[in-house]
Amino acid sequence: MSLTAENIRVSYGPREALRGVSLAAQPGEVTAIVGPNGSGKSTLLGAITASLPYRGTVCLNGRDIATLKPWELAAERAVLPQASRLAFPFTVIEVVRLGLQSGTAGDRPEVPMQALARVGLAHYANRTFQELSGGEAQRVMLARVLAQVWAPVERGQPRWLLLDEPVSSLDIAHQLQVMEIARDFARAGGGVIAVMHDLNLTALYADRVAVLASGQRLAFGSPREVLTDDVLSCAYGCALRVSSPPPVGIPYILPHAASA
Amino acid sequence: MKTRLKPNPRPVALLGAMVGAFFAVSVSAQQAAELPNPEADILSIGGTVTEIVVALGQQHRLKARDTTSTFPPEVTSLPDVGYIRALSPEGVLSIGPSLILSEEGAGPVEALEVIRAANVAFVEVPDTLTPEGILHKIEIIGEALGVPDRASDLAAEVQAALSDALRDADRPEAEKKRVLFILSTQGGKINASGTGTAADAMIRMAGGVNAVTDYDGYKQITDEAVGLAAPDVILMMDRGGDHGAADDELFNMPAIRLTPAAQTRSVVRMDGLLMLGFGPRTAEAVRLLNSALYDQDM
Amino acid sequence: MTAVTEIEIVARDRQLQARALHWGLAGALVLACLASLQVGATEVTLSAMLAKLVQGEALSQMERVVLFDIRLPRLAMGVLVGAALAVSGAAMQGLFRNPLADPGIVGVGAGSGLGAILAIVLGALLPAWVIDLVGNQMVPFAAFLGGWGSTILLYRASTRGGRTSVATMLLAGIALGALAGALSGILVYMANDTQLRDLTFWGLGSLAGASWAKVLSAGPLILLAIGAALMLGRGLNGLALGEATAAHIGIDVQRMKSIAILAVAGATGAAVAVSGGIGFIGIVVPHLLRLVSGPDHRTLLFNAALLGAILLILADVIARVVIAPAELPIGIVTAVLGAPVFLWILLKRRGLVDL
Repeated sequence: MSLTAENIRVSYGPREALRGVSLAAQPGEVTAIVGPNGSGKSTLLGAITASLPYRGTVCLNGRDIATLKPWELAAERAVLPQASRLAFPFTVIEVVRLGLQSGTAGDRPEVPMQALARVGLAHYANRTFQELSGGEAQRVMLARVLAQVWAPVERGQPRWLLLDEPVSSLDIAHQLQVMEIARDFARAGGGVIAVMHDLNLTALYADRVAVLASGQRLAFGSPREVLTDDVLSCAYGCALRVSSPPPVGIPYILPHAASA
Repeated sequence: MKTRLKPNPRPVALLGAMVGAFFAVSVSAQQAAELPNPEADILSIGGTVTEIVVALGQQHRLKARDTTSTFPPEVTSLPDVGYIRALSPEGVLSIGPSLILSEEGAGPVEALEVIRAANVAFVEVPDTLTPEGILHKIEIIGEALGVPDRASDLAAEVQAALSDALRDADRPEAEKKRVLFILSTQGGKINASGTGTAADAMIRMAGGVNAVTDYDGYKQITDEAVGLAAPDVILMMDRGGDHGAADDELFNMPAIRLTPAAQTRSVVRMDGLLMLGFGPRTAEAVRLLNSALYDQDM
Repeated sequence: MTAVTEIEIVARDRQLQARALHWGLAGALVLACLASLQVGATEVTLSAMLAKLVQGEALSQMERVVLFDIRLPRLAMGVLVGAALAVSGAAMQGLFRNPLADPGIVGVGAGSGLGAILAIVLGALLPAWVIDLVGNQMVPFAAFLGGWGSTILLYRASTRGGRTSVATMLLAGIALGALAGALSGILVYMANDTQLRDLTFWGLGSLAGASWAKVLSAGPLILLAIGAALMLGRGLNGLALGEATAAHIGIDVQRMKSIAILAVAGATGAAVAVSGGIGFIGIVVPHLLRLVSGPDHRTLLFNAALLGAILLILADVIARVVIAPAELPIGIVTAVLGAPVFLWILLKRRGLVDL
């Protein structure tokens, strides 16, 4: 029971955005995909979520996703998009319920409120989605995604959270909150794949990291194995040094030091 | 044109219905307008048809009319059933006619079917743009109204007047003036009559030449074609209003400014129904138009 | 780290409101139907006829004709057309994720307009057997073919590899509309005076041509299309999040798009064919309902069918009563009533209406 992508290729016209990338994510772990802009991170997630045409094979809990119907996929994995624009003035709770309708918690009407509370926005339940700030909107979408796969394990099968830059528009406190939700989901037996920009948060929360560059996988392993000077300098095209404090006098703030 | 004999309380009744008190709707309020004559049983559709009914001395039998029936002026006080091609079946039935006399082309077809289903006689009067056509209309209407003798008298009268008028109006080809009939100048675009129209027939009967013979019907004509048509006179329908200002505007239109008609400021305006109706007054129309075209004092 | 007490907050459920509205609107529809049968240009009234029947008296021929041949088919057509236009509007707005979309966007309006104009202007040129076959239903028939045909054309043009691009469809629709407009212009130029007036009246819409034949020919298609559209509620809700997300929450987006487009083309094509161009219902009705009970399409579509039918019936009552014995084109009534109400609501809710 895992989520595997084998030899994934994706082309945008003549340009090949992914050139044979493989990835195996295990339940119980947070798997992060990192890499510079244009390296194919989101494209890889797009292939894994069947949002775009790809060559190669993606298997979800042992089944090829190409053979599954949208609703079968929806019961096993939820996807948080990078940015969400919502048509029509739905309220926050209605948006979260959209997630509920598609998952298998359909007979549990209390789930949406619990999901909203999980992201700390229960008091916004009756607001219109369009009134929210960018960060609030992103957390509501996370609540919707959580509601869809509320139980991390269902009938012995892990369920999956697929997150595309889940903390991109959040302040540091909420970044930590969201990453903790993801980690808790994994610790409870679910699987998490997250496209990440923030290397510090990746180091802090990911169990496994895939580094992409130019449509290929540069490295795959635990943060300790992967987040090294060589790999990162090669991937990002500039000299990077891991775990080196800056010159004295310049403040730096790392999420590692935060406490709730 | 929407003359009604008394204020209509139905919108109020409708509101009542809308709030659910529809059974309380005042039924009596829907009575047709009070009529001048209990014998009235005819719905007349088409201006010329109505004129002929009146000319046959049957005005007292008219119960309602359509929007185009405006002559003689007394008929405008009758209820108006609307436009000939968009009749409302219930509206027509509410008049309670026993006979409908209609110009060609009444509709919609579904409305006519329903009206026929209610046992209302329906007589269609064909429209032909010739003197014979007028006589034929009179015969048909006389027949339908049960006054064939009056109809043949009227037809004879009309025929005599028409042939006199046509004879007087006729003149050698070389002397005939070129006439441009303009239906509208809406938005600076000139909509003019080609051949095959009532205007074309009337111009020829009144001793003129239609300046535009390149197309059938009423169409928008390009500015340059107006110049080529070189009309001596412009003919229009009289729509009321300030003719002086309207003339200035007309003759200042680029298309018209250079025509002979503009040089002499020659424009004739006639009542549309009189000019284009092809009914009992057509002889009068021929004489009027002819004298407007050729009399020196024009 | 989350405050657990927040869970005490009670989430408002506008769905309950919307379901209550089903019953309210259904009741109002019954009242509107009774009102429509009660009043008209003649003095025949439903109440008087019912009273007669209760006392065992026979109806007069006039009463039978007015009730069975005029008001009932007209009422049936009003219900069908009103429901079709409002549901189509709601479905199109959901599909295009734009509250200003209407069925015209998928080319139904332009296509059926062109079909109607072709029939009005050139119908007489067809071979005699064709004219005999379609009889006096030529204009509705041509309007339906035009509307349906242009939608299918647009749909196929904007579908590549089994995926329909809604944006391509929108743009192609504009191009097709312009082309249909130009062709219509040529035909208008060729038309004679009477045909021009027919075109004007067709464009304003009317239920005056209602007949059982029309109800029976357009009715099944409209009902089928409305039925199909009513099943799209969940899918359209998902689509509000965007096509990709809709798929992620388990919606077969392509299948839903196909159903929505075909249903709208069928319902609107048939409605426009029998009643001409009636504006505003498709925009105003869904918008009003969204203000009252939220944008959830699971209830919105059904409520739209009810409210669309109610408004069109009432507009038709006004159309045939105010200048009786003549009648107004119903498109004028829906616009004159619809536009100010719409504007008033928008201004009153200024700042709260989110397009």
